[in-house]
Amino acid sequence: MMSPEFYSEVGNLLMWLLTAAWLLPLLGFVIEIFGGYWSDRKSKTPAYLAVGCIGTGFLLSLVALLTWVDAADLNLWHFGDTESAAVAHHEADAAEAGHEDDHSHSHDHADHSNAHGEHGDAHHDGGHHGGHESHANDPFKTAFAGTFYRLGKYGSLDITLDWYIDGLTVAMFAMVTLIATCIHIFAIGYMSDELTERYEDHFVHTEDGGHFHRVGRFYRFFAYLSLFCFAMLGLVLAGNIFQVFIFWELVGVCSYLLIGFYVERKTASTAANKAFIMNRVGDFGFLIGLMILWTWFGVFQFAETNPETVGSTGLFQMVRTADGELETQGEGREKVVVLQAQQGIHKDGGNPHPTIPYFLLVAAGLGIFGGCIGKSAQFPLQTWLPDAMEGPTPVSALVHSATMVAAGVYLVGRFYPMFTPEVLLVIAYTGCITLFVGATIAVVATDIKKVLAYSTISQLGYMMLALGVGGWLAGLFHLITHAFFKSLMFLCSGSVIHGCHHEQEMTKMGGLAKKMPITCWTMFVGVVAISGLAIPFLGIPKLGAIAFSGYHSKDAIVAAGMTFSSLNPIHSLLFFVPLITAGITAFYMFRMWFMTFFGKPKDQHVYDHAHESPRVMTAPLLILAFFAMFCAIGGENGPLAQLILTTEPVHVAEGAMEAGHIGLNLPGHHQIHEFHASAGAVALLVAFGGTILAYLFYGLGIVDTGAMQKQFGGVHEFLREKWMFDELYEWMWVRPTLVVATWAAAFDRCVLDRFLGFLAGMVVAISSWDRRFDEAVVDRLVNAVGEATSSVGRSLRYVQTGRLRQYVMFIAVSVVMLFFVLFAYLPR
Amino acid sequence: MSVHSILNHVLGEDLPRSLEVFAPELVLCATVVLLLLWRMLDLHQRIPTCWVALFGSLVAFFGVFAQFMYLKTGGAGVGGLEFLFDQWRLTPSGVGEIGPYFTGLLVHDQFAVFFRLVLTLFLVLVTALTILTGIPDAEDGQDFYTLLIGSTVGMLMAVGANHLLMLFLSIEMMSVPSYVMVAFQKGRKQAGEASLKYVVYGAGIAGVMLYGISLIAGLLGTANMPELGERFAILMQGEFFSMSNTTALTLVLGMMMVLVGLAFKLSLVPFHFWCPDAFEGASAEVCGFLSVASKAAALALLVRFVLAFQGTHESLAQLGILFGIALGTISIITMTFGNLAAYSQTNLKRLLAYSTIAHAGYMVMAVSAMLVILNSPSSSVGVGQAATCIEGLMYYVAVYLFMNLSAFAIVALLRNETFREDISSYRGIISGSAATKVLCVCLAISFFSLVGMPPFGGFFAKMMIFYSALQAGHAHWFLWIVLGFGALNTVFSLFYYLNVLKAAFISEPEADAAPVEVPGMAGAYVLLVTIPILALGMSSLQGDLTATAKYVAASLFQ
Repeated sequence: MMSPEFYSEVGNLLMWLLTAAWLLPLLGFVIEIFGGYWSDRKSKTPAYLAVGCIGTGFLLSLVALLTWVDAADLNLWHFGDTESAAVAHHEADAAEAGHEDDHSHSHDHADHSNAHGEHGDAHHDGGHHGGHESHANDPFKTAFAGTFYRLGKYGSLDITLDWYIDGLTVAMFAMVTLIATCIHIFAIGYMSDELTERYEDHFVHTEDGGHFHRVGRFYRFFAYLSLFCFAMLGLVLAGNIFQVFIFWELVGVCSYLLIGFYVERKTASTAANKAFIMNRVGDFGFLIGLMILWTWFGVFQFAETNPETVGSTGLFQMVRTADGELETQGEGREKVVVLQAQQGIHKDGGNPHPTIPYFLLVAAGLGIFGGCIGKSAQFPLQTWLPDAMEGPTPVSALVHSATMVAAGVYLVGRFYPMFTPEVLLVIAYTGCITLFVGATIAVVATDIKKVLAYSTISQLGYMMLALGVGGWLAGLFHLITHAFFKSLMFLCSGSVIHGCHHEQEMTKMGGLAKKMPITCWTMFVGVVAISGLAIPFLGIPKLGAIAFSGYHSKDAIVAAGMTFSSLNPIHSLLFFVPLITAGITAFYMFRMWFMTFFGKPKDQHVYDHAHESPRVMTAPLLILAFFAMFCAIGGENGPLAQLILTTEPVHVAEGAMEAGHIGLNLPGHHQIHEFHASAGAVALLVAFGGTILAYLFYGLGIVDTGAMQKQFGGVHEFLREKWMFDELYEWMWVRPTLVVATWAAAFDRCVLDRFLGFLAGMVVAISSWDRRFDEAVVDRLVNAVGEATSSVGRSLRYVQTGRLRQYVMFIAVSVVMLFFVLFAYLPR
Repeated sequence: MSVHSILNHVLGEDLPRSLEVFAPELVLCATVVLLLLWRMLDLHQRIPTCWVALFGSLVAFFGVFAQFMYLKTGGAGVGGLEFLFDQWRLTPSGVGEIGPYFTGLLVHDQFAVFFRLVLTLFLVLVTALTILTGIPDAEDGQDFYTLLIGSTVGMLMAVGANHLLMLFLSIEMMSVPSYVMVAFQKGRKQAGEASLKYVVYGAGIAGVMLYGISLIAGLLGTANMPELGERFAILMQGEFFSMSNTTALTLVLGMMMVLVGLAFKLSLVPFHFWCPDAFEGASAEVCGFLSVASKAAALALLVRFVLAFQGTHESLAQLGILFGIALGTISIITMTFGNLAAYSQTNLKRLLAYSTIAHAGYMVMAVSAMLVILNSPSSSVGVGQAATCIEGLMYYVAVYLFMNLSAFAIVALLRNETFREDISSYRGIISGSAATKVLCVCLAISFFSLVGMPPFGGFFAKMMIFYSALQAGHAHWFLWIVLGFGALNTVFSLFYYLNVLKAAFISEPEADAAPVEVPGMAGAYVLLVTIPILALGMSSLQGDLTATAKYVAASLFQ
């Protein structure tokens, strides 16, 4: 436990750094959105401003990351001094044992964690394990939290803007700002055709057969990007679940604005609406979760970490004991979870140990996860993400692959202590279905961006699955590595699209490797990373297997799934589906790569006009390629994983047996490590299988893919139609709604309108009578009175000097009248 | 008590204390003298008189501010406050002590100081506005500011009036300069006509009020306000408060006549006739001054006057209920008439005149609620709820200051560009320069706040007043009717405000109209007075003002 002085000093420093990084894009947005006023449409100044803001944000995040690592006294490199002997020992074996050795090597460390995991007997080797281990088991020790501003306090409802900074926060900040900076720079080149007073949109046709013209929206694009960065960073920095919700909606709005950037295209505006509406469905669950949390816990804050007040408040501390256990009472429907702190406003207010019914905790968890389903495009709300590709490609790279859609995964990871085993199982199966559905559709997609979109859905499913089966680290590890290689691939596809003059169909590409070598080979890095390929039987001491980032994280996920299915044989699908899908992933990714860059050009026109993108676009590709290669260096023992690991909830490391109502066995670290080697081997095997298949099909072309499509016409059509989800939803929701609406309209027309028509007829009849009466009696009377008045007025005009006298007369009249009224009201 | 000892008391104790409390007013008086000398010595060629006026009003503002903080902190200020206290030589037995001064003619308490603070702040802001718009030209400056400051001194005395004589004097003192100010645009025929109407109307009302004062003083044998209720209770010993009782009848008549005088200043229906004419004739700056400052002062005076008749005797309670309901009725008529009449206006100043009439109705609702609550036999409501009414009233006055000043400032600043004040001249001004856009947005904010839309300050002000009426409804059902009309009127008022905003934001500019280019300083000034509307609606300032109002209101009923 760090001293209060040290805590507040470091906490304040981190808060200022990250707050500056968070607010700079907002400042940028405020200036850029008025770009049309202070700058002309041909100026790139808004873009430079946006890049400056987010770039400075990245530098600040980097400083914050280093500050945090220093303050947490974290040994980022698992192969520390204390272990050099063990390393030396393995160095000798490394050359011959190769890949397998890498895993046994890790296994060696697993023993340490294992020993530590079993607590009581951990003391004898206390000097042996790295400094991070102790942090890993108490995440709040290295977390900093505080309040920016209280929005309002209504009774006991305290709505505040908080910040919460731990290993995951700083890692996310660094990742988001780095990727965003690269994408901003890329977008300067990609969006350059908006730098005009007269932009011709080739996808919008006017009635006279021409194309739609409008002014360029360069500055607006960068303003939206800046706003998105602000919202995304706010989401990560948020210190309570309500604040997360605020920024959750804000990123949703930014996503809506960016998908609909080409608003004149019908497809774009429809896609924006679809994304927004489907997200609202998920957010409904989120709101229900929030309500349950508020009613039963009375706080929204994640955790109180100030050493002076630790344990006094915070959801995580309330729901879990110091050991990370759920303390329950009763059985069956009566089962309740005892809350730990005494902040909860349980209905019997005097109760010193407030509780929450177990099923409500499950409901709250499912509700919050519902929000994550929408945001991370999980089954059954996944259909909006492919359509969201209508937005400009940098948007797809930033918002719809690397950051926003990963926010759901982030929230599941962040909110992990609140989830019961039942919820985790739902998460795991949701992820499992999603990853399979996404991968299978990607196999037949021919639009280069759609392939990547379905791949994103599938990869997000992997992350959810990992979190659900107890591989907390694996899920969030994959979140970061995926962000790098997927944004890289999206930018590559953007470069291809830019180079091919907005041609997105892979069936018209081919052979582009010669025309755009940088794009081709950076894309290759991404493809290898996502496929999880590694060089077998070769490991570098201290670094592990020779592989790109994706290999390490996917390896971890498959290991977690394998362990889980061995502990719970009934759920073995949770291992086999992701394993097979790993092969499919490698297949469709290499399919895309081969189809785009190799073989004969399928459309000579496209090929002839293709060109490599300018440097402003290729430079970000190189940077991202570097990170896609090396960000996960060292695998689970490397710095990135160790950084994330510090945030891991207490209960994850040990696992759990027979947990929850359904008696789920959750694997602990040591169990996962036991399966790590074999999982890695089979995953690699499958990935190679997929790769080789793709090479045979599309690289060498020895199989006629057209014939195969005919052979499996039904399946192909089914996959082309995206598993018929859109049709299903059309039949399930849209059609019934329309039918009900038609009925309602018919009822309106036939019953209500007729009744109203009848009433109106009556009124007309009565008023016509009334009119006659009016004309005959009232008007004459009024006219007579009016005549009289005006004649009096006319006659008085000669006597009176003006209205002033009337005024004074009014005083007298009013006073007298008032007095009479008061007099009348006096008691008799 | 011998004459000598009275003299000793007055000179030795009362006078130093009185001068200490009265110092800000004295500063304003000195400023008036200085302004007149300034012109005679031909100094206005070097330094325009407006800066002298601004300086004098700023000094007075800080004087009152020091007094307010001295009372609030109990004399224990630190830093800048301590410096202020020292500069104004505030003492625990002087400003620190609440009570009458100037031998009982005026009273010094938190309520008075709060209103003096509002009024001096307003004086500073209006002076700044006139500097921006240049409505008194360099030649006439000293006359205009003399009148402005003189009228303000009258208002400052009105909020502390403790004697019927002071009541009359202060009302006249704030009225007479304003008659001239209305006519200040000498070239315009309208201005002269408006002023004449105002003068004659004011003179008539003054007569009625003086009559009322003489009735009260004659009946009760004193004009010292704290004693009035007591005296009346003694007179009514053993008698019933009924229409056959001449004492009661005379007092009701007298009180009513005094209230008529106050109603004139508050422009309550049916004593509002002067208001639209005067506003149309006067320049917008003067309108702003009249609509806020004289109304705030008259409200404070109204509260003081009706509170003079509080006591434990039953007849006083009946009197209070009677006037509570009477004020409630007036409130209904006033807001309904004001809002309905505003519909058909084409001149923005006339429209705002009816708007201020309607708002006076809302504000009187709080006084009515307070009277009913205080005099209710029911035990469910008490002094605490009465304090809530005053709290709401003060919050309303504070927010109203900024809302109306912002609106009138915008009218004045746009008049300087377009030379027109009718609503059609506002068509499409949003397409003007950046500062014009700022003006438009501020106009929208102040209008929405006037309607009472959340999250602006006006919403919370209205909510507090409505809440106090709701409370008072428990004491007498009639207040619920008043509340109903208040709510209904809020809806009415939406339309004519929006009509103006529609012209500014949505309508196309007139064909021959050039884009409106307001100077940047104008935008800055309007922004400065509009930001408080927002701040009082959705920042922690709102809580601060509520707390201050609560503290002042509580001190009034101690």
